[in-house]
Parts: sequence; C-alpha cells; structure tokens
Amino acid sequence: MAQFICRYRKGDEVRWISHLDVKRTLERAMRRAELPLELTQGHNPHPRLSFGPPLPLGATGEAELLALRLDEAADPSEVKERLNRELPAGLEVVEAWAVPGHKKKETFGNLDVAEYRITVADGFEEQEVRARVRKLLESEELLVQRGGNRPEREVDLRPMILSLEVAGAGSEGIELRARLKTGSHGGARPSEIVELLGLEGEKHMVRYRRTGLYASSAVSRARPAGVWRRWARSRSEIERSSSQ
Amino acid sequence: MLLSRVVKPARYTDGEWNAVHKDSASVRARLALVYPDVYDLGMSHLGLQILYHVLNSHDDFLAERAFAPWPDMEAELRARNLPLASLESRTPLGEFDAIGITLPYELTYSNILNVLDLAGVPIRSANRGQGDPLVIGGGPGAANPEPVADFFDAILIGEGEEAILEIAEAAAVGDRREAVAKLAEIPGVYVPSAYEVSFHDTGPRGKAVPRDGAPGRVIRRIVEDLDSAPFPTRQIVPYLDTVHSRATLEIMRGCTRGCRFCQAGAVYRPRRQRSVETLLRQAEEAIAATGYDEISLLAFTSVDYGSIQELVGALVERFGDRGIGVALPSLRADAFSVALANTIQQVRKTGLTFAPEAGTARLRRAIGKQMEEDHLFAAAEAAFSSGWTRLKLYFMIGLPTETDEDVAAIGDLVHRLVRFGRGALGARQGRLQVAVSAATFVPKPHTPLQWAAQDRREDLARKQAVLQDVLRGRHIKLSWTDPGMSALEAAVSRGDRRVGGAIEAAWREGARFDSWGEHFDYGRWEAGFREAGLEISDYANAALEYDAPLAWDHIACGPEKAALRAEAERALSGGEG
Repeated sequence: MAQFICRYRKGDEVRWISHLDVKRTLERAMRRAELPLELTQGHNPHPRLSFGPPLPLGATGEAELLALRLDEAADPSEVKERLNRELPAGLEVVEAWAVPGHKKKETFGNLDVAEYRITVADGFEEQEVRARVRKLLESEELLVQRGGNRPEREVDLRPMILSLEVAGAGSEGIELRARLKTGSHGGARPSEIVELLGLEGEKHMVRYRRTGLYASSAVSRARPAGVWRRWARSRSEIERSSSQ
Repeated sequence: MLLSRVVKPARYTDGEWNAVHKDSASVRARLALVYPDVYDLGMSHLGLQILYHVLNSHDDFLAERAFAPWPDMEAELRARNLPLASLESRTPLGEFDAIGITLPYELTYSNILNVLDLAGVPIRSANRGQGDPLVIGGGPGAANPEPVADFFDAILIGEGEEAILEIAEAAAVGDRREAVAKLAEIPGVYVPSAYEVSFHDTGPRGKAVPRDGAPGRVIRRIVEDLDSAPFPTRQIVPYLDTVHSRATLEIMRGCTRGCRFCQAGAVYRPRRQRSVETLLRQAEEAIAATGYDEISLLAFTSVDYGSIQELVGALVERFGDRGIGVALPSLRADAFSVALANTIQQVRKTGLTFAPEAGTARLRRAIGKQMEEDHLFAAAEAAFSSGWTRLKLYFMIGLPTETDEDVAAIGDLVHRLVRFGRGALGARQGRLQVAVSAATFVPKPHTPLQWAAQDRREDLARKQAVLQDVLRGRHIKLSWTDPGMSALEAAVSRGDRRVGGAIEAAWREGARFDSWGEHFDYGRWEAGFREAGLEISDYANAALEYDAPLAWDHIACGPEKAALRAEAERALSGGEG
C-alpha cells in the first residue's frame, strides 16, 4: 500500500472541462495506465482518490493536486510517467511524490488559499486598474449576491481577499495577482473579484490562471508536514520559471 | 469569450481520449459525421463510433464529428455569424466533401435542418451546387426516408459499416453530379432525386416511381458476418458524463422475438452474434484503450445471446477484481435473466427493467409480446430474494384493439406486483419502488402494425388519466410520453415526401430538439403541417388500407408486405404468432 501526491497542470485545451470531468478523466487515465489502484470494499468498488479544491470552469491551473493510493509500492517518477502517457492534451502530471499512508479521506482538506494570476486583455489603462484595485482594497465590506438554485444570499468578499495587486502590463494585457480564500469554509471566485473591479466587460477577455494552492495554517491537525515542505518548494519553482 | 456563455462548454471542445486528428492534406475524402442531437446523447450512439472508426482506419479518408448545438450555443453562433464546425479540426461543415447525418428517430429531424443551415449548406438537395458537400443520411430512420428525402443527396438503407467506404469513394469524386451518380450505383443507397413521387388523397399515400434506371426497390445493406465486422475498441471517451459512460460491446444484432410493434426487430434481421472469443478480446482492448470501469453488453435482448452465461461468467472472472463491472441493458422478464443479472451484481448493483408492454395476456398476444405473467412474477421473486428493491416496468398504451379495461389492467398488474414485493421483502418493504413507464404506441413502417391507427390525442389523454388514477401508491412512480410528441413521431414515421415541407415549415417556426420536453411545441408542428397543406392526424390517426400504396414501398428493409399483412390480420383477430 502506498500513497502518492501528484501536482498536475490543467491547460488551455481542457479549461472548459469541469472539475468532475477532470476527476473522471484522471481516474480513467489511471486505469489505462494499469496502475494497481487500491479499491474500496463493497458493492461498488472505486479507487481511493482525493482532489484539491475545484478550479473554476474556464480557468487554467498550474498547481492542481490529487492524491492516489496504490496496492503496491512504486517509484513516484514511474507513476508520473505512466500517467502522463495516458493523459489527454492539456492535462499533465508535473511532479509526483510518495507520502506516508494515512486513512484520512480529506487529504487536501486544509488547503484554503488559492493564488491566481488574472490577465485582463486590452481596453484598460494600467493606472486606471491600479486605482480600482486600491479603491477595492480600501473597502471595509464587499457584498455580492450568491444563489444559483437557492434563494439569493449576500456574502462579504472583503475578508476573503488576502492580497490583490497589479503586477504590470504585458503583451497579453494587464496582469493582476490575487490570493483568495478558497475551500469548503467559504471563498471568493476570481471572476467575482474581476466583476467587482468592473473589468468583466463584453469586449474584454479575462484569463484566469491558478498558480498555487496552500494552507494558511500549514501545521494544523495531523497533516504530514512533508507534503507542505515539498509543496512550498514546488511553488518557488513555479515562480522562478514564470518570472523568466 | 464564446464558451464562457454556454452551459456544458465541454460539448464543444474536442480533444477527448481516442479522438482522431488526421492531416486533411493526406486524404482523398473528408467526411463530417453528424448526430442530430446534443453531444451528450450523440456520443452514446454506437453507430457513429463505428463509422468514425471505419473511416479513420482507412488511409485515404478522414472523419470528424459534429453535433446539434444546444440552443444557447446556436444563439451565440448566429449572433457572431459563425458556421457550425467539426470538433476535431474546427473545419466548417460546409468545407467537407460529405456530411453524413444519422437518422436516429423522427423527433431529431428539425435538428438536421438546423445543422445544415448553421453549416451554411442549402437545406434542400435541389438547391445545392458544385462546392457544396454531399449530404448523406442513414440509420434507423432510413426505414422510411421519404419525410427527409428532399434534404438528402443520398440515404443509405440498412447497416453502414461496409457501405461507408464505398460512400467515401464517391465523396472523393470532385464533380457533384458524378459523385451523386456514383452514389446511386452503390447497393443500398437511395438517391431520392431519382424518384418521381405521386400523391393521391390525404394521408401517407405518396408513391415513389424510379426514373432513369434507378432500382424499383432499394434493398438494404446488411453485415453478413458480425464476428468479423469492424468494431471500435478505441472508443472515444467523452469528458462529459454522457448517457452511457462505459465501454460498449455489441454482442448481437437483430432479434427473433417478433413483437409486432417493433421496427428494430423487423429491419435488423437476421439475428447475428459475435463469438465469445471475439467479445473477450474486444473487452480487453476496449478497457485498455478507454479506462472505463464498466462494460455494457449491447443487444436488443442480451439474454437471447446464445452463450450469455459463458460470456458473462468469463467477463466477471476477468474484470471483477479490477473493479470493472458488467451491465446488461436489456433483460427478459424471467428468472433466468435475474439469475444472470445476479452473477453480475456480485460486482455492482443497479435497477432491473422488464417490459410487459401490455396489461392483459390477450393484448400481449395481439401485439406478439411473448411474456407470461408467471414468468414476470418468477423474475420478480428472484429479484427480490436476491436483494433488488427497485423494478422498472415498460408498458405501451394506445395499442391496436386496446380497451380502457386493458389500460386499467396495467394498474392491476402493478398493484399485484407491489403486494407481492412487499411480502417478499418483509422488513425491507419500505425500499420497494416500482417505476412504471407508459409510452405511446407508434405505428412504424415495415412492422405488422404499420397500417394501424394511433389513438387520437384526446383518447391518449383519457387513457393516461386512467393510468394516473389507478397507479397511485407510495411504491409506484408513473411516467408517460407527451401525446403530442407521440402524434408527431407517428405522423413523421409514416410520412411521405410532402411531410418534408411540414418539417421545414416547423423548423422555420423555431422547432428544435423536439424530443426534449422543454423545447417541444406541438402548436408549432400543427402549424408547420398546415402550412404544407397537411394534417398531423391524417398521418398519425388513420388506419391505412392494406391494398393502398405506402410511402415506403420502394424501400426493401424488412419482411415482405404479404407476410406483414398476414401477421397484422392475426394480431387483429387475436391470434398468436
């Protein structure tokens, strides 16, 4: 029995595939790769997989996470390579590492911060965007309507914005960086922030990239600390490679 | 951004595992394969995957897919003046050498016109010219091609896996007239423009007469040897959860049970099987190529497959401990079927479905449904004692010779089954659920009941009210078909070439996705028929005369008319088959 964590990329080709569809796709790829998946007992056996917080539809992700359990020990690099041979274009395991097995189901339950890079294509002056960001951060309260099928309810997004800044203007547009609360205890979607900034116009193309997921309380509960040390390292790697 | 504005954008994005991307410069003919309904349904259609596989396995041909865009996507395409394009290379459909469109059933026909229109291809064959793709149809609806005849350059009658390569050869001919002439020479291919249709009276009486040496009757193509027929084991794996998210094996084609209402049973003869050896090999290949966790055994009645126990046993043994289940979508109502399902359920448990079709033995005999009530109860007993608590029962109302007593008898049968189930389940009776589906009888070409009238909509409504009245209770769930949809299905399925005008008129009025309750509008179709000078009821509710010509007389794809008539007379006199 062995547990592995994979950091994977969800690229442009699959950014319109929902989180549920990505989970199914990864599970099928594991079966095609003939990884000896550990199955649950019972009438409807299924592999024991956990996934990080869902990525919004339309966003790409560079630091998505999944955990899988195998019946036998295996070399993490082999897990990565076998899986990558069976993944459709746009999905790719960037790194895989073994972690000590534990029975806890919610492997990624304490990931509650997501880092986004948001690119707003033409139509706005950088100074104007900076001013809007400043004004937004000065607000004490940022109420938005949520609902869907349920009756509408109001949520204050201000405490869910941990940081928001204009990184600069490039050939693809003006880039914003945001660290937002995410996960089951409430979070902000990056599109909501863009809407609050008034940057989501009919003409403007907005691209969302999730570049990092981490825990605000990394040492909380019975989390194997190794995961997060490893995670911190990969984050710095991402930053290095993207700043080149 | 277009995709951010539609539901389920994954319907339009391509790149699924096993999708084929070929260099268009390396082939002689490019074909777009279209399923005229939404992606989620179309990707569950095995026929499309077979043809895609056959064409793309050939070095000289290329096939790409397209589906009817959901109305939200259609609105975006029209607003931006974008043509409907293939999934794989995003090539506008109008640029292909040929567009092959499945005719799955009548309520998809408005989508066919919409797809052609969105592709920028003239919807009528007569208005197409050099540079326009050939538009070729095929599939179950080809049993009576007349209602859509004016929209197609050619329609294949029968099974497509062999003929498709001959059709692709014709598509490789550059000149349109030459290509159509070449299509006309392919056995089984019907070229509607080579026939003159005369009409008399109202109702489906149009008679097609061949011109210029076209065959008097077009004889359907069939695959002689199913075991060696091409079969796609590298099935495309959709990202979306489609109707059938599993690996499919076609174990058998055709059915010998001879239900008198069943068109599939009539036109897919004879019954042909694949060998256990072939199926086990295909199962291994399909699971390795797709990664699905379920194998579905496709057949009209899978338990009629000669070596079904051997096959299921071998599949469960090979795949069970890998967590891969086996599904039998079509069971008979008898204890053998349940015992068989039980072998499978060692791995996975779902509901059980039986199709008594009618409430009384007399009516079941009349429609040729071979099912004894004893067998149904034996099946139910076996099911309950093996742990099943949910049954699904399929019935039809509006059958020829049916009385309100026959309809009420459905209620009686279901109630007896519920009482029996409560007794058999004892302490677990709270979980008992019997889902009753009451479809409407639709007279279909090439069946013994093709001459029969469909009940009028008000009669159907009355019978549905009877059912709602008798089928009450906490263990019973009743569903039925919209009588308007059934009337339209009957009118189009027995339609002649004039009905094409009604389809076009209804489509111009906005008809789309007519099998979807939220989009179907009977009034729009009534108006469409009237605009074409027709009435839905003349086609749906008339009993046809045995001696009068039928709109599909020139299509030879089922039993001979004399044999059908003899069966029909036996049915109406209450005799057995």
